Amino acid sequence: MTRQDIVERLKDILLSADDKNREAVEACTEASNLATDLGFSSISMLYMVIAIEESFGIRFEDVGMADFQTLGDVIDYIESKLV
Amino acid sequence: MIFETRELFRKYTDDATFARIKEYDTVGEMWALCAAEYADTPAIEDDGRVFTYAQLEDDVAHFRTSLAAAGVKAGTRVGLLSPNSYEFVKAFLAITTLGATAVILPAQLDAGTVFGCSMKFGLSALVAHPALWDNTAVAAARRPDLPILSAADTAKDATAAVPCDKTTPCVIMFTGGTTGQSKGALLSNGAVMQGTVNGCYGTKDVFGQRYLLVLPLSHVFGLIRNLMTSLYTGSTLFICRNNKDMFRDIAMFRPTIMVMVPALAEMALTLSKKFGRNMLGDDLKVIICGAAAAPPYLVKEYDKIGVALLQGYGLTESANLVSGNPESLQKPTSVGIPYPHQEFRIEDGELWIKGANMLEDYVGEPESAYEDGWFKTGDLVRMDDEGYLYITGRIKEIIVLANGENVSPAEVETHFNALPFVQDSQVFEAVNDEGSHFLALEIVPRATEAGGMTKEQMIAELEAVNATLPPYQRVNRIVVRDTDFERTPAMKIKRYKLEG
Repeated sequence: MTRQDIVERLKDILLSADDKNREAVEACTEASNLATDLGFSSISMLYMVIAIEESFGIRFEDVGMADFQTLGDVIDYIESKLV
Repeated sequence: MIFETRELFRKYTDDATFARIKEYDTVGEMWALCAAEYADTPAIEDDGRVFTYAQLEDDVAHFRTSLAAAGVKAGTRVGLLSPNSYEFVKAFLAITTLGATAVILPAQLDAGTVFGCSMKFGLSALVAHPALWDNTAVAAARRPDLPILSAADTAKDATAAVPCDKTTPCVIMFTGGTTGQSKGALLSNGAVMQGTVNGCYGTKDVFGQRYLLVLPLSHVFGLIRNLMTSLYTGSTLFICRNNKDMFRDIAMFRPTIMVMVPALAEMALTLSKKFGRNMLGDDLKVIICGAAAAPPYLVKEYDKIGVALLQGYGLTESANLVSGNPESLQKPTSVGIPYPHQEFRIEDGELWIKGANMLEDYVGEPESAYEDGWFKTGDLVRMDDEGYLYITGRIKEIIVLANGENVSPAEVETHFNALPFVQDSQVFEAVNDEGSHFLALEIVPRATEAGGMTKEQMIAELEAVNATLPPYQRVNRIVVRDTDFERTPAMKIKRYKLEG
């Protein structure tokens, strides 16, 4: 799975959680900040983690908001779990 | 008006079950009976470990020995610093069945605050979970007189429970309101037991349930509505250590009942739709929602998959729920009918309470929780002809407009929340560049309903609702947010405050 594939799947997850955020999600890049650019709350973080686990078949270790600043951080983590 | 409402709840279960809902004066009295009656039933599942009621009682009896050796006796106060875990449950029962008072210290407190609490509440011992041991360092250094025990300790011998009565202080819990400073509320054994029994009213299946705990045990709904009611009913409590594992835990444990905030219930629903299966498992029959208003939409959606989402209303000061709604489909915006042994007064819209479930008082605060014997909740309510209670706002949130009109944001918000595409809304006082104050509305749209709508369409519908309101309640600015509101650790929406 390429990085771009991961980005596309992530966008799909973010849109399912938060369709109103469509503009921000579609425009997002790896540098997008989860809190300031995508407006993540503790609940949307939890949603994203659970949806990624379901969708990619991976397991997150104990993680919190502080562990991921940008979408790129999340992709790095997913990649590290997929290898 | 005094409410002896027990009989109103009879019709929601069978007579045999209803007859088993009895009242006890103390945690010790209840626990002794439950430990014997349900001896071989699993009481707690935590971190891959399963403990029956008999094993839990055995561990409690041995931990009482450790506590007694540290000087804990009836009337003393013991701090309990622990994340949700079997060790929390064991220590809580050991402390309270010795006739001592458990001072529940939330797991997120830092070392300095733990020490501060040891002084403020006059702790004579501190029990800490090994995972939080570092947070006892300041107390250890500055209070050499304070015995600090590990919650994982186990002594060789057992110590018997010490009988007490319903007036014996049982627990001090922190109020965690969305407004104001957190305070320590002292609940007697009688209040804790009343709160525990109240958790049994209004559902069909009461005993032998499977509870999955996602709320912190340092929160009144975690401690009383989950843990204590679960033990009282001979149920099994599964402790979810990390909310991100919630759905994996659910798939494995298959809970029949869960207590959660509406935001989590909504998240579970969205995930279920996304992945095409019921993420809460097929055995779940009841969700108890407290701490925030659940939108009628959620009640209806859960009903479609055979889950009753029952709203309740309660406070730390009331040792669990004050009222519960067994008729959530018929009255989806109500927080229900009052539980027994309470007296309510509604003064200028504000709910005042007296009752067996109410706190003794705050501890270490200059002001009492009571005025003339009444606890003033600060919540604005109304009651319909059938005795169902509705929350219309909070006094502290009341906005006084320049013309002297009082506006309850929560009351105005209910009108906008009735639109299916509104997930959350907030009405607040804003100030323009000229310094004029006005009412503003912000909404967070609900993804599943707002899919095809533009912001302009949403605003048009919101404007239409706005036009139906009395002029003083109308908002002058409407914003459809791209992001969620900021939330407290309990996932409640943080209310905007006017600066200055």
